[in-house]
Amino acid sequence: MSEDLILEMKGISKSYPGVKVFEDFDFDLRRGEVHCICGENGAGKSTLIKMLSGAHLPDKGAIYFNGASVHDLTPRSAMMMGIQTIYQEHNFFPLLTVVENLFAGSEINNGLIISKPKMVAKAQEILDYLHSDISPHDVVGKLGSGAQKIVEIAKALVQDSRVIILDEPTASFSQTEIDHLFEVIKRLVSNGMSVIYISHHLEEVFVLADRVTVIRDGRKVSTAPVGSVTEQSLIRDMVGRDVSLFYQRAHFPIGEVVFEARKLTGNGVIDICLDLRKGELLGVAGMVGSGRTELADLLFGARRAVGGEILIGGKKVALKTPLAAIRHRLCYITEDRQASGLFLKHPLSMNIPIVSYVRTRTPFALPSTDVRESERYVKTLGIMTPGVFQIAMLLSGGNQQKVVLAKWFMTNAEIFIFDEPTRGIDVGAKEEIYKIMIGLLEQGRSIIMISSDMPELIAMSDRVVVMRGGKIVARIDKEGISEEAILKHAIGSDQR
Amino acid sequence: MKPSRLIRGENGPMFLVLLTTIVAVFLVELLFVRGSDITKVAFIKPMNISNVLMQISITGMMAISMTLVMVSGGIDLSIGQMMCFLGTAMAYMMKNVGLNDWTVVIFGLVLAVVFQVLMGFIISRTKLEPFIVSLGFMSMYKGFTYLITNGREITIGGKFGFLGKTYINITDDFRLGMPVIVLLLLCVIIWLVLKYTKFGRSVYAVGGNENAAYLAGINVKNLKLWLYALNGIFVAIATMASLSRMGTGNPLMGEGKEIEVIAAVVVGGTALSGGKGNVWGTFIGVLLLGCLSNALNILGVFPHWQYVLRGSLIILAVLLSYYSGQRASSVKSPVLTGQRSVAK
Repeated sequence: MSEDLILEMKGISKSYPGVKVFEDFDFDLRRGEVHCICGENGAGKSTLIKMLSGAHLPDKGAIYFNGASVHDLTPRSAMMMGIQTIYQEHNFFPLLTVVENLFAGSEINNGLIISKPKMVAKAQEILDYLHSDISPHDVVGKLGSGAQKIVEIAKALVQDSRVIILDEPTASFSQTEIDHLFEVIKRLVSNGMSVIYISHHLEEVFVLADRVTVIRDGRKVSTAPVGSVTEQSLIRDMVGRDVSLFYQRAHFPIGEVVFEARKLTGNGVIDICLDLRKGELLGVAGMVGSGRTELADLLFGARRAVGGEILIGGKKVALKTPLAAIRHRLCYITEDRQASGLFLKHPLSMNIPIVSYVRTRTPFALPSTDVRESERYVKTLGIMTPGVFQIAMLLSGGNQQKVVLAKWFMTNAEIFIFDEPTRGIDVGAKEEIYKIMIGLLEQGRSIIMISSDMPELIAMSDRVVVMRGGKIVARIDKEGISEEAILKHAIGSDQR
Repeated sequence: MKPSRLIRGENGPMFLVLLTTIVAVFLVELLFVRGSDITKVAFIKPMNISNVLMQISITGMMAISMTLVMVSGGIDLSIGQMMCFLGTAMAYMMKNVGLNDWTVVIFGLVLAVVFQVLMGFIISRTKLEPFIVSLGFMSMYKGFTYLITNGREITIGGKFGFLGKTYINITDDFRLGMPVIVLLLLCVIIWLVLKYTKFGRSVYAVGGNENAAYLAGINVKNLKLWLYALNGIFVAIATMASLSRMGTGNPLMGEGKEIEVIAAVVVGGTALSGGKGNVWGTFIGVLLLGCLSNALNILGVFPHWQYVLRGSLIILAVLLSYYSGQRASSVKSPVLTGQRSVAK
């Protein structure tokens, strides 16, 4: 074993009942490097993290830390050894201050009494080292998501960690926050810290990584210095085939206006006017917090509007509840499928038919119909599952999204509102979701798609509206859609 | 239903626990109490079984509607005191106001529904925890009970006998009381409702994920409201059965029932977090706790120790069902769970 390796995995195998996740997997991490891990969802990235953080034990193989073999890793022993995992979801006490969070469980004390001044001083020192303007006395729940991530990194420093594992840290970050995070990571690495960085954003890989490992189906496809790979080659390794970066979609004739909002106000959005035509995909762009999701909630009747009106097929309708919207053949695929799209503990056979029941006026429901219909959608949408009795929690992100789609397809909806349809979904499954969406357009259905993914907006949209501060600030036609045009309006540089 | 399906199904683990308990009690009584004389074993005498069924019927009725409430993610701690309140109020109406049986039945149902709708309204329209709101109602009911009775029983002089004192004799010493029949009927009805109606699906959906249920078009607030109202109706029916059997409106008639009921529902596999549970599981839970009480009496366990033993056995039963449930849900083989797989 060479001297500069801090962490090494050799011959790791891991299986869950029925599924082999890892087979004979090798991995190593050098001192002072950023090692990025790329792979589709379901490739095994999260299992890898769980094995390194002690949450799960490998079935076979060995893990070496600092050259010594470690057995029976637990989350606590991993942390004590110096491996700190920072998960995608935040993991702190939102009502406590920064300093209380940093030292939770490892308070500095003078004999028996906790010494607050010492902890504040230490916290300030670490925050200064990270070039952060967060105060140790800030309440963590009130910080932005970028600052919260910095607090979690600071916590790793308090623990004297040698290895930091970052899982998709930049989801819902602004560009400034991303830049700051990268700066922090680079500073840590230059002082000998090792970082495992997992991301779906390939551009981040090129900015940060020293080496990149691509995993697919629990096997290592390649490990290479970042200088010797390209975006194309990484994607090819991840999916095992060539895919174009920009999805090439087919276009269909666009018909009359089917859905219209006039001067819609409420729930944090102001004076929204938009129309949607038959067979059209209307993109909604904007930065996080610009009111896009709030608009979607309003259009679907999940929140009440205080002013304005909605017309469907030219007739004015009152969408006071989701049920009313569903009866007008709207559907809403939310941003957070786990929190508001799926019944995670329930089998697919209960997840898929639920809206269809609610929509009909008959009081009865037949389990045999549930199973038959669910099986039909599992087949047509290609949901990878051992069966319709599998609970939704155990599916991968892309398959969970397909379950949500199946739920709405069964209602024969005409107008689809997608909020971040491919968030947290890997490249291969993204393309499948796009194909499904294009299929909807071909059938003459209409889509409103909120997205933060520029290539997605640009490739998929027939028109784009850009939101900022709760208002629509620009409408861009097919010909004018470009990254620069959208960004210009979304960040407001056209006004200054 | 084939026996294999009983064991492998969702309620399988608890069913096994129930069987094991029955066999264990039988063996203990046979070997240690009756000196291996099988004809003397009281636990399996038909008359004893009739009695056990009768004893569990009232708890059972309340446990069914509590299952619905808990599957939807709620809880109702007020049911025990509500029983005291309804029972004494109905007895008062019968004795002091002189209403006839049927008017009292309607009075009881209306009273229960009015209060439960009020409670359901508060729980469904605010963010208050059902635990706390129902705790408040529990205390209010206790107050009403004492205002009505001043702490004394109200006898109803043998009236109202139909619900509690009618029996169907199946053999000479095995008979089914009316409350048992009512319990079985209610079980079947609610089982069918949960399995074959939109309402049933909605109950699971709301308990599984309230947000997703709302966006799927379910009127979450009203569903919760009606579940508490339904719970009121079931408690009223149970109260009538109890009143009829005892012949008196006792201010302590429902004391501690909420604990008994919630224990049975949880032992029966309903998750406190909602979204999971079913009627037959609850039925098994009620039966299991009923058998235990009966067995402890037959075996002559000192009453004070009975509480201790019962409590430990509840925890043991839940532990067993938790671990077996965990094993069953981590094994994803469709063959084992008796389910068809989907051809790709």
